[in-house]
Amino acid sequence: MIQTVIYGFTIGAILYFFSVGLSLTFGTMHIINFAHGMVYALGVYLFITFMGYFGNSFLLSLVVSLMAMLPVAYVVERFVIRRLYGESLDYAIIATYGVLLIGTDFIKLIWGTTPYPVNDPIGLAVPLAGLDLPVYRIVIVISAVLLFLALRLFFKRSIIGQIVIASLEDSDGVRCLGLDVNRYFSIIFVLGSALAVLGGILYAPISTAEPYMGFHILLLAFAVVIVGGMGNLNGTFVAAMVLGMVMAITGRFWSQAANAMVFVVMALVIIFRPMEAE
Amino acid sequence: MTAAPDTRGVAVRPASPWGLAREVAFIAAGLLLLSLVIKVHWMTNFMVFFILVLSFDLLYGFMGHLSFGHMLYFGAGAYGTALWLVFGSKSPLIALAAGMLVAALLAAGLGRIVMRTHGAPFALINMAFNEIGHFMIQSPLSGVTQGEDGLSCSADNIFGVINLYKDGWAFGFAAVMLLAVFALLRVLTASPYGILVRSIKENEQRVKFLGYNTFRYKWVTFVIASTVAALSGGMFTLVQGFVSPRVISPFGNVDVIFAVLIGGAGNLYGALIGGTVFMLIKNFLPVLIPELANMLNMRLPQWEMWLGIVLLVIVFSVRKGIVGAVLAKWRLRAYGSPT
Repeated sequence: MIQTVIYGFTIGAILYFFSVGLSLTFGTMHIINFAHGMVYALGVYLFITFMGYFGNSFLLSLVVSLMAMLPVAYVVERFVIRRLYGESLDYAIIATYGVLLIGTDFIKLIWGTTPYPVNDPIGLAVPLAGLDLPVYRIVIVISAVLLFLALRLFFKRSIIGQIVIASLEDSDGVRCLGLDVNRYFSIIFVLGSALAVLGGILYAPISTAEPYMGFHILLLAFAVVIVGGMGNLNGTFVAAMVLGMVMAITGRFWSQAANAMVFVVMALVIIFRPMEAE
Repeated sequence: MTAAPDTRGVAVRPASPWGLAREVAFIAAGLLLLSLVIKVHWMTNFMVFFILVLSFDLLYGFMGHLSFGHMLYFGAGAYGTALWLVFGSKSPLIALAAGMLVAALLAAGLGRIVMRTHGAPFALINMAFNEIGHFMIQSPLSGVTQGEDGLSCSADNIFGVINLYKDGWAFGFAAVMLLAVFALLRVLTASPYGILVRSIKENEQRVKFLGYNTFRYKWVTFVIASTVAALSGGMFTLVQGFVSPRVISPFGNVDVIFAVLIGGAGNLYGALIGGTVFMLIKNFLPVLIPELANMLNMRLPQWEMWLGIVLLVIVFSVRKGIVGAVLAKWRLRAYGSPT
């Protein structure tokens, strides 16, 4: 049981890392960003490649691949997302989906379709109540909580965070104050992409890297964002943890149903809470 | 997208019985011409896909509701038909009707939920239901659907003569169905109902102010689009004699969205042309690319990347699709204004 709970929190933590960017992009720019899955998957593959160069140093590869993905995220923002501001949702969905397809095919071209396993970088397990708990999973959960607190601080205290929070409420109002909202949006976009990459790399040792990993987590993350409320940071955290737990508990009894159960929860939420999103 | 309903273009002109017959004959001629170039067996698959694209065009092109879960109804029709053939009777038309009924009931039920949303939540909740349907077929219902292994089924001849496993008959059957669906949707979209549906796309608030119950119209349109998609799915089963969970996989939605967009959303001819272009790309690129790669002696990206690039080009440059762009050019010459 404790293992299931820890597993649930681990999945929830990864979902949180990934969904923050998605939620912020939707809240500020009103764009459903499928390209997020591309950044996530590409980051993990870069990480695996760097692991080979840096003699399996986990932290070094993590930092380098994170740095390498920042320009990629910026390019996506500058040449695709920025051209979609104020456009209808449909075109944004289709264009970012195009980016996701290009990224997936790029991965298949360079790295092939065989899944890559990644080793657990810590490899230790603590005995707890007669069970062995991998330390690595606990590290993931703790880092997600730290991220949550750090983001709260960022949005409460820093001027950039305040501007973004204000634009979530009323971006025209912020524009009227003479601020270049787009610049802040692109900072937020790159930040969100970096968090997705971080989540992907943290998740890699538990799962395996395969070209369609971006698609799979996107579906789950959409559920998180809808359940948590689009652009609602606290909601995203709670929803990610709850849905992670739903997946873990369902998976314990009926492993194939884990993903479907997340969508059942999402459907129930939509039924009982009419959405005000456009 | 033009603001007011356009009465000059091909898309909107009311179809008189004679005009409609002419248009249907025109398309039939086009299909026959195409079948001279492409293998007849492929052409049948093309036409099954065209029906699916037409159904999606009604939902997205005419009503402006982008769904990422249309394959649920295609798959429901395919599985409904297949299961009827296996457990019910061998009559293909009754099996087709059974598949459509299953999908219509499903759409009627789920439509009450999904039609309350629009925009992003609409796209995503449809995708969620699609994913659940995919899972249901794969796992809990695998006792009847054979899960991943797929389900083989065979049908009797229609009226005792039409053997669906002979290429010529299958082609004829698919062509008749496609023309019937086209004629139905052509009449439907040019009717007052169709104009209302297009008005919902332009501005639902105003339609409400006029006193219409827009929810009812949206729901009916959703059920019609889903049932037509199920017809396409059922025909897929009949022609292939085999279904697997791939037919209900949410990944298929992109194909349909892409086909509608490339031709021009909100125009039935656009759906047909987009469907043709898409099927040509999908069937010939995987053959051409390895050959080209061999010739240039380098590795080339597979067709997904080209699809992605074309999607970006469509969104950023030719939003109206092929038919939309041609129409705009023609109107510019005829009326001095592109809209």
